[in-house]
Amino acid sequence: MIKIENLSVAFDGTEVVKNVSLDLRDGEILGVVGESGSGKSVTALTLMGLVAETARLTSGRILYDDVVLQEAGKPRDRVLYREYQGAKMSMVFQEPMTSLNPTQRVGRQVEEMLRLHTGLTSGEIREKVLETFASVGLRNGEKVYASYPHQLSGGMRQRVMIAMAVILHPRLIVADEPTTALDVTIQNQIIELLQKINREQNNAILFITHDLNLARRICHRIAVMKDGCVVESGSTKEVFGRPREEYTRRLIEAVPSRMKRRTAAAVRERAAAENSAEGLARGKAAGEQSAVRRTEKAVAPIVRVKDLSVFYKEGNNSLFSRNSRRCVVEEASFEIYPGESLGLVGESGCGKTSLSRALLGINCEVKGEIVQKTVRPQMIFQDPYSSLNPAKTIGWLLQEPLRAAGALDKSLAMTKEDMEAAAYDMLHRVGMEDKYFHRKPAQLSGGQRQRISIGQALITGPGFIVADEPVSALDVTIQAQIMELMQRLQQEMNLSYLFISHDINVVYHMCDRIMVMKEGRIVEIGETEELYNHPREEYTKLLLCGSAG
Amino acid sequence: MKLKHNFKWNKYLAAGLVMTGIAVLLGILGFFWTPYSTTAMNAAEKFSPPSLRHIFGTDNFGRDIFSRVMQGLGTSIVISSLVVLISGAAGIVIGALTGYIGGILDEVVMRITDAVNGFPSILLTLVIISILGNGKQNVIISMGIVFIPSYVRIVRSEYLRLRDADYIRRARLMGVSRFRILFVHILPNIFSVFWVSVMIGFNNAILAESGMSYLGIGVQPPDASLGKMLSDAQGYLQRAPWYALAPGLTIVWLVLGFSLFSEGIRRKEE
Repeated sequence: MIKIENLSVAFDGTEVVKNVSLDLRDGEILGVVGESGSGKSVTALTLMGLVAETARLTSGRILYDDVVLQEAGKPRDRVLYREYQGAKMSMVFQEPMTSLNPTQRVGRQVEEMLRLHTGLTSGEIREKVLETFASVGLRNGEKVYASYPHQLSGGMRQRVMIAMAVILHPRLIVADEPTTALDVTIQNQIIELLQKINREQNNAILFITHDLNLARRICHRIAVMKDGCVVESGSTKEVFGRPREEYTRRLIEAVPSRMKRRTAAAVRERAAAENSAEGLARGKAAGEQSAVRRTEKAVAPIVRVKDLSVFYKEGNNSLFSRNSRRCVVEEASFEIYPGESLGLVGESGCGKTSLSRALLGINCEVKGEIVQKTVRPQMIFQDPYSSLNPAKTIGWLLQEPLRAAGALDKSLAMTKEDMEAAAYDMLHRVGMEDKYFHRKPAQLSGGQRQRISIGQALITGPGFIVADEPVSALDVTIQAQIMELMQRLQQEMNLSYLFISHDINVVYHMCDRIMVMKEGRIVEIGETEELYNHPREEYTKLLLCGSAG
Repeated sequence: MKLKHNFKWNKYLAAGLVMTGIAVLLGILGFFWTPYSTTAMNAAEKFSPPSLRHIFGTDNFGRDIFSRVMQGLGTSIVISSLVVLISGAAGIVIGALTGYIGGILDEVVMRITDAVNGFPSILLTLVIISILGNGKQNVIISMGIVFIPSYVRIVRSEYLRLRDADYIRRARLMGVSRFRILFVHILPNIFSVFWVSVMIGFNNAILAESGMSYLGIGVQPPDASLGKMLSDAQGYLQRAPWYALAPGLTIVWLVLGFSLFSEGIRRKEE
């Protein structure tokens, strides 16, 4: 039905999509997977006729039922496209927060599709919209109809977007990362909804994602993209079962999945193998240590939290308004032992971040007890693009923690040469070369920045690190590298991590124990394997099946 | 990856740089050397129109207008620079503190700046001068004070934006002192925004200084100043239009050049 033949798209003379050929049949879900910058979104936008004006087709053409939509060398036919957009092909975007107009009631926005493409009366239009709302699982359609986007949750907004996309029963739906911005349980529902629509209306779905687990679950066929090229395509079973290309294999391997060995164990073994007898003993010891530690309570915890409640100040910091406070974490109690990774999972808004802030001493509104051995626990942030000061060089950034420590405690003060040496040493430890010392963060990739970020957190040897979604902003292959780096550093420096993530698979690979949070409460805490195989709480089960991989 | 700093020229930047450069050079030169003495009167050459001898002509006392424009230009630039220096420095310190610390301090300072902004700046400067007395230093001080709020606002909003940035949070976690966070960690990141406001502030200062000397405040005769020349020329507009045009166009030249320059910088940033 859809044929993309030999498509190349260039921006300012640089080709970002190179000779891509894809075809899509009715009722089929084709997954396009790849890391950021692989050209998957540009391909989709070009297909939809939504790509920026500066983009030029340098070769190939796009066919819809043998009608040429676009061809290299010819300008985009807007009139033709308008006929197809919405009615015959529609799109679901990634970000439900920005893809709806915040100043209009959502009902009106969905109606617009019908007003533009059909001759229905306003009564019929309204009926049709409500009907579609019901079919995408929006209960209380009347109320949704009259709501503004900000009054709806992320999941509901995405349902509205899907309603908008399917209301005219287009034969093609392009879904560009439709679930990436959503929580796991909601993600699950949206995926099921897309599958249901695909079954019932028999339309083709072009499903773009970076998440291989997701693609594996819903797609019939998969195309893997890298640097603008399709490197491999075939049925989902084929691609995942017998990947032909080296890149595909690496991509699949990098995805944290429960089918595979945990990274922690793998790193331990590798260290052991590399360092012969001595290393073997150390690796083994480290493996057994965490178990022994908790059963015998021989080792004192590095952090002990008892009945901790965290409050959030409400009200607009103004001179004359009284501030009220809301409880975001209720009576949390747990311990973290030296050399251990404790995972903290939960959906957005469950209090993960507030809890971690309290541990770091950023949030002052707390009640309860926190005892920690580390004077200054450090943190690894989620977004590597905002966690490094853009005005400074890497070398400066790595030395700054030492300068700060020296200024606070004269006994820790170091000479310039010592600090520089320490910074170089840390640069090597996080796997970077000397030449980066004098560069600025803007000249580094996301993964490299995250390495520096880790280095900055570790250089003063804090012992306890809070890692807040340290890999969720990164591509899968980079994700795997960073996770391995963190594991290796943990071994070398006997660190304890509080590892926060919404991705339960990532946590599975990183952590010895896992703590599940829901609405400000810790609902379950246990050994990783134990918790995965025999979850006690309903909610934990829900989280686990939401991310089956 | 190219490490060399890529300095992209654009027309705005080039035109601005040339215009400002000429004005500044003439102004600075004016302190040391002028074609004629700026105060020497010559009754024989009263109101002589622009010629090769006197490119801008002469005034009602037969003084060379070009020499006086040079001197006035220099004074204007120096006064404006000092005003920007004072108000900019004070703006950074106050804006940084209020933006970063916030709370009651912020509330109070912002209401004061609102109050200051409520008065027309010339009027407020006049009030301060009437308290301090006339004279170059007092003009600089009073204009410096009046211009502070505009910088405070810009600096404050930048600090407000950056104080919750991840890298500042991290600096706090490291235990970096507040002073160091304010002026070592955040300050370099606001320069691009601050720079633009300095440019605009400089232009405003030039205009305000000219306005003040036009009103007879500030630079006192026999020293030349662009504003004073304009007001003197008013009486002879018909007889010697060049007398008014010379300082007037000079002000336009300087302000336009600087505007183009700052526009060029802004575009380069983008």
